[in-house]
Amino acid sequence: MLKEDRKAIDQCVRCGACRSVCPVFQESGWESANARGRMLILRGLYSGQPPDHHVLDSLNSCTTCAICTEICPAGINPPGLVERGRRHLASKGITSGQQRLLAGNILSSGNTFGIENERLSWLADRSLISKKAEYVYFVGCMNSYRYRETAARTFAILHRFGATVLPAERCCGSPLLRTGFEAHKLVKENSRQIRKIGASTVITGCAGCYTTLKSSYPNEFEVKSVAEFLAEHISELDLNRLDLNVSYHDPCHLGRHSRIFDQPRELIEAICCLKEMKTSRENAGCCGGGGGVRFGYKDLSMKMAQKRLAEAPDCVDYIVTSCPLCIRNLRDAGGGERVIDLVDLLAMALPEEPIR
Amino acid sequence: MIDIFKQLVEIAGNRVSASPCERYCYRGDASQVFGNPDFVVMPHSTSQVSRIIRLCNEHLIPVTARGAGTGLSGGCSPVKGGVVLDMSGMNRLLEMDIENQQVIVEPGMIAEALNGLLKPHGFFFPPDPGSMAMCTIGGMIANNSSGMRSVKYGTVRNYVLDLEVVLADGRVIHTGKRVLKSSAGYDLTRLFVGSEGTLGIITGAGLKVVPLPKTRKLIIAFFAEADIAGQAVIKVFSEGITPSACEILDKTTLSVLKLCDSHLAIAEEGDMILFEVDGTEISTEEAARQIIEICKPLAASTRIVSGLEMQKIWAARRLVGAAISRLDPQKTRVYMGEDVGVPIKEIPALIRKVQQIAGKLDLPIMKYGHIGDGNLHVALFIDVADEAQWERLRLAADRIHRAALDMGGTVSSEHGIGLARAEYLPEQMGSDAFSLMHSIKRVLDPKGLLNPGKMGFS
Repeated sequence: MLKEDRKAIDQCVRCGACRSVCPVFQESGWESANARGRMLILRGLYSGQPPDHHVLDSLNSCTTCAICTEICPAGINPPGLVERGRRHLASKGITSGQQRLLAGNILSSGNTFGIENERLSWLADRSLISKKAEYVYFVGCMNSYRYRETAARTFAILHRFGATVLPAERCCGSPLLRTGFEAHKLVKENSRQIRKIGASTVITGCAGCYTTLKSSYPNEFEVKSVAEFLAEHISELDLNRLDLNVSYHDPCHLGRHSRIFDQPRELIEAICCLKEMKTSRENAGCCGGGGGVRFGYKDLSMKMAQKRLAEAPDCVDYIVTSCPLCIRNLRDAGGGERVIDLVDLLAMALPEEPIR
Repeated sequence: MIDIFKQLVEIAGNRVSASPCERYCYRGDASQVFGNPDFVVMPHSTSQVSRIIRLCNEHLIPVTARGAGTGLSGGCSPVKGGVVLDMSGMNRLLEMDIENQQVIVEPGMIAEALNGLLKPHGFFFPPDPGSMAMCTIGGMIANNSSGMRSVKYGTVRNYVLDLEVVLADGRVIHTGKRVLKSSAGYDLTRLFVGSEGTLGIITGAGLKVVPLPKTRKLIIAFFAEADIAGQAVIKVFSEGITPSACEILDKTTLSVLKLCDSHLAIAEEGDMILFEVDGTEISTEEAARQIIEICKPLAASTRIVSGLEMQKIWAARRLVGAAISRLDPQKTRVYMGEDVGVPIKEIPALIRKVQQIAGKLDLPIMKYGHIGDGNLHVALFIDVADEAQWERLRLAADRIHRAALDMGGTVSSEHGIGLARAEYLPEQMGSDAFSLMHSIKRVLDPKGLLNPGKMGFS
């Protein structure tokens, strides 16, 4: 265990403030399902208590949404400690079947789904891929395989600014890093391609990829979310007004983890009427999908997603977000096609249908 | 031999755990008192609680009830093992009876959630511990807790009209009626309030609620010394003004307060007193003006705050107790000797004394609390990896407790006795009074199974 981690765990005064916000605890009710319980479990673990599957469930059921970090009076960051706790267990070979399956998929195929199909199948015109570019659009597994239209729309917009894509993009490594594994090979391979293109900035529309590119990749290029990049270039987009009311769901890794709250709202408010959800920005509810929870604890994940959906005002036409994992989870929980990506909304406001 | 786990599962279904991991999480609260439960059960109904208690009574299994586990005295730490009853799953509002100024709740209802439900009706449940976002009504009743507004509104005790209690043999009683006053018989309701789960398990509560004030204002005053601040407070009360809150925060606390919310426009120019007044627009304006007048000759500066800024100051104030690590990441707040209370006139002397105690032991200290009702929260913080610092901390806590007793005060104003302060209770109460309390305990819990090892009962 890292010395700093022990210190951080010791700083938990067990006040229980995290009980009031933890979305997993609100579904479960057991102490082992909130940050205070997890800090105790980590303390026990590092003091030599033998781990069992309950320990694994406690750590693995954290969505790493970081709302506990937001409220913790002592200033602790439980998700970071939980992730390192997962790594500690994984290093001893203690993992769940779902963890192993996810890791196996990524390591064998380079994507979270274990799909052998071509990652760039969303891009019809390959001549648009440049060998050298200032900007790289990092698509991510979800958009590459599940939301290809969103990927195509995002690229169409970014290509106007000279962006290209990696010729052989791999998973960013986020699912591995979130669930206790290392992602050196993926990081190395993606970094090599970015370096070869000579890009100064990598832009991504996935909150998970964003956090990972920002914190786990070599500090050789700037990382921007699509929302940040487009908000900077809003005047060049020539957007039309839409007669729509929409809510914005803050993805945890883009919002609380990365403090990107204003830019997506700036873009939305430029084209339609934003109606905030019951909780928003740093207090926003979690979609329930992050931290490997969607993969490992589907029922729990769906309950959290349903709760989040219920926070949207009835009057809105769309719940917009900027993370494909959030979209997937919220759609599956009953949100359906009402849940869309920020870029899909922007595409409606663009003067012409973007290039496919 | 009977399989207790199986029996518990028969009663509470999948809301029973015997996993080492879960049991480890239920070892204690925010104090340094830890136990080791054999089972954790999260009941959903009074009848389940009654059946569990009967089972435990029959098989001599200790039972420790718990709300949100936010206590600071080890009140919910299962020091004799047995069953921990996590009551937080019984969290429903059973009746909203605004016409009769009452609500009926299950014990797991969160204080803040209750106030959220009452707000649209223009009412509130006044006791407001710093933990009100997560603490349960049952836990508050068991500890007779209170908070910043107790100076005007009193403690939980003033709001409990009736309790549903499961006794040690499993019988279920009601201690009161749905009336705002009663002079019928011994006041059993008040007996159970503050009994920390040693006399019975609270499974329901009828609570008095009161109208929300129309407005609130905060008067911030800085003083060069705690003594002068104390004088100002006494003068405000002597003039017949009852603030809805009256808090003292020393310079160190103010530094931490600003780390909780960096946008707070608060100087660190000495000890700060927060006076809150509530009522109508006219009455609060008048009271605020009077307080400023009284403080002016004594204070370095004064100003009136309201609206969002006031809310932010209170929000930061609620967090401040646990936030010391933000000031010094090497140190952790340890809750010991943190809840003493003295007659309000003695507060400046108590502040001097605790400063002296901490100084002699070379311990950093933060002092804040409800100066308006004589309750001082002393925050001691140490490097918890250093055993020598622990020794000094324990010594300081002991001296603080004894100082409060010497001044005619109490070792706990609102956090309870539990195990952390149990050794001082006989001394505080006197041997005859303590012996009477023990007799009551024996009558209600002859086998000594309800929260054993607490409140100084052997």
